[in-house]
Amino acid sequence: MQTSFADLPTLQSAVYPALVLFALTAIVFTWFTVVYIKRKGFGNPDDSDLYIDCAYFMEIGKRPSQQDSVFISNLSDYKRYGITALVADGMGGMEYGGEISEKVAKFVEQMCPLSFFATEQNSDELRRYSNELYDEYKLSGGSTLAMVHIAGNYMNYYSVGDSDIILVREGVPTILNPRQNYMALLIKSLCRNNKQTVSAYNNPKSRALIDFMGNQNPRVIYTKKPIRIFDGDKIIVSSDGLTDAVSLRNMPHYFRDGASATALELKRAVASRKRPKQDNYTGIVFTIKRSPF
Amino acid sequence: MIENYILMHKGGQDEYRDNVFVNYSSALTLAILYFPTEADFSVADEASVSALVQSSSKMRFTDLSESITPILTNLKNYMLIRIDDKHINIERHGKVFAYIVQNGELKMLPNGMSSLEDGDRVICCTGEFMKRLNEVAVLSDAVVSDSAEEWMDNLVCRISDKNRLGEGNLTAVTMIVRSGD
Repeated sequence: MQTSFADLPTLQSAVYPALVLFALTAIVFTWFTVVYIKRKGFGNPDDSDLYIDCAYFMEIGKRPSQQDSVFISNLSDYKRYGITALVADGMGGMEYGGEISEKVAKFVEQMCPLSFFATEQNSDELRRYSNELYDEYKLSGGSTLAMVHIAGNYMNYYSVGDSDIILVREGVPTILNPRQNYMALLIKSLCRNNKQTVSAYNNPKSRALIDFMGNQNPRVIYTKKPIRIFDGDKIIVSSDGLTDAVSLRNMPHYFRDGASATALELKRAVASRKRPKQDNYTGIVFTIKRSPF
Repeated sequence: MIENYILMHKGGQDEYRDNVFVNYSSALTLAILYFPTEADFSVADEASVSALVQSSSKMRFTDLSESITPILTNLKNYMLIRIDDKHINIERHGKVFAYIVQNGELKMLPNGMSSLEDGDRVICCTGEFMKRLNEVAVLSDAVVSDSAEEWMDNLVCRISDKNRLGEGNLTAVTMIVRSGD
């Protein structure tokens, strides 16, 4: 069939709506890719934006000086880089514990913004810095490191030593990071021999750290894949001054809706214990909530 | 390749009663038997299960399952697993569990076949092993561990913190898919 000149008006009337439809589709597509994704970020279709609330406390306890250090990255950068938070606990009884924990916090500040997907490289950087500390202090001091990096609906963590990273889900607190102390080695050995582990807990040296910042080539524990976080979760990064005073079992009594209220309650809980040798105690509290917008 | 680590610990009991039978061939085949009480324990069944698993290399999973079911007819808690780089096939009965780490979560594996990818982490364990753990702990230890052995060691430390390994038999298998190896 041939198209005659007489058919042109009919053709034009069909083409114009198609062009308009195409233009509208192009506009919507451009808006989605440029505006929506930029604002909301990439993610699974079922992902919904979470927002976080953060608060911290840092107390000296009964110690003569503060040897804990904290670092929290700028909340205003959260959408772009996520948030990084660190607690470094200077090792008590060592001359330069406080100084080293401060240096670790400053080093992490310099590392920021961290790449969320380069956990291996980030852990290499931390290990390299530990080697620098080793060269400078020759084991006359050390510090733990407990650090979380939260971005979108996921969290990575890094840990050296025995400070705590606690995830509270459905009201139940769980310490995430394995402790790098002598007790872990004793338990492993007893388990291999099909024995019970009571003796490991009775060993007076069981809490001695086998890895810390300031040691040569420490093992930096880090998440190879990020952990999903959900609406209602809480994340607490703390020195052992908190968890020694308030057990995990008792901790839920002090959880409140907001991060500030929870931090305040936990701080009061430690103080109320009136422990005569209370260590420095530090905690950073995050509460995760679904965005109302 | 499936990197794996098997824990068979007697806990606070006089003897280890649970059992794990393994066949290492192109795919890893496992049978985990769980006896929560002495009354459940049956030695006679075990020899037959062992023989069947050992000779299961060329057997289809459904055939293995059909052959093993009559032997374990009186056993309430057991699991059959066949796993390779691409798939895991599971048949579980009673209080034995299988979980996989996916998208930052720990998900329970259903009976039947599921797809796997390089780096996926899977744990199969008895109810006694999971009794002192929670899913957050299992997930966290999975994502920080370099090996199946390290993952198990971390989990054992958690159980030990709760009961000094002084309760029932502890039986579990941790597995990591290493497609590149």
